[in-house]
Amino acid sequence: MQEKENKEENYLSFEEAEGTDPRVYEVGYLLVPTLSEEETPTIYGNLKELISTFGGQSISDEMPVMINLAYSMQKVIQNVHHNYDTAYFGWIKFFMDPEKVLELKKKMDLDPTIVRFLILKTVKENTIASKRFIQREVPRRKTPTLGEKEEGKEEAPINKEEIDKEIDAMVA
Amino acid sequence: MKQDYFSANNIKYIDYKDVSILKKFLNPNGKIVSHKRTGVTSKNQRKLALAIKHARFLGLLPFVAR
Repeated sequence: MQEKENKEENYLSFEEAEGTDPRVYEVGYLLVPTLSEEETPTIYGNLKELISTFGGQSISDEMPVMINLAYSMQKVIQNVHHNYDTAYFGWIKFFMDPEKVLELKKKMDLDPTIVRFLILKTVKENTIASKRFIQREVPRRKTPTLGEKEEGKEEAPINKEEIDKEIDAMVA
Repeated sequence: MKQDYFSANNIKYIDYKDVSILKKFLNPNGKIVSHKRTGVTSKNQRKLALAIKHARFLGLLPFVAR
């Protein structure tokens, strides 16, 4: 009995170990810009469903947002070439078994609403840091405050008088 | 940029979606700035280059600008 329990524990710990970084994936995708604003949430919902059907647990995601592409992209839909300069960009981060990811990729390849997508291994933690650090770009300089300047001015004349007196004393 | 930007800002994972950060490491033509000029450690420079290439693929950054 005890041995069995131990085995189960080992199995659990192994699962946990596997459940950390190696199974964390992220898919970034571009949706066709011909979709209307109302249609994007449903497609976004469908994608999340697709991931969950492959046993994926979503960690975090962002809704598709219209962006200007840095260059124009082509996609062939039903033997017709389309050029796109804008697209809806969104991403989903999720846990999944490595074997299932390939199946997910095959499914996404067939999706006519996706211009491009990218599946990457990533880490569980939030990786976007830009908002926090942009402000610190300019190096801080120590500017003397008004209070310090006034103190300096007050001190200087007193010191001069004292020095004069001292010099007089030295000469005498 | 003499010090490593990423370790100075405590960034452990360089994300391709962080376009505002990645843009700092592109020259006006959209090329990746060399390791010598960025001052980023070799390890982070490799990750940075990969992140920029991923961002390029998804149209977040240009392959060629101007």
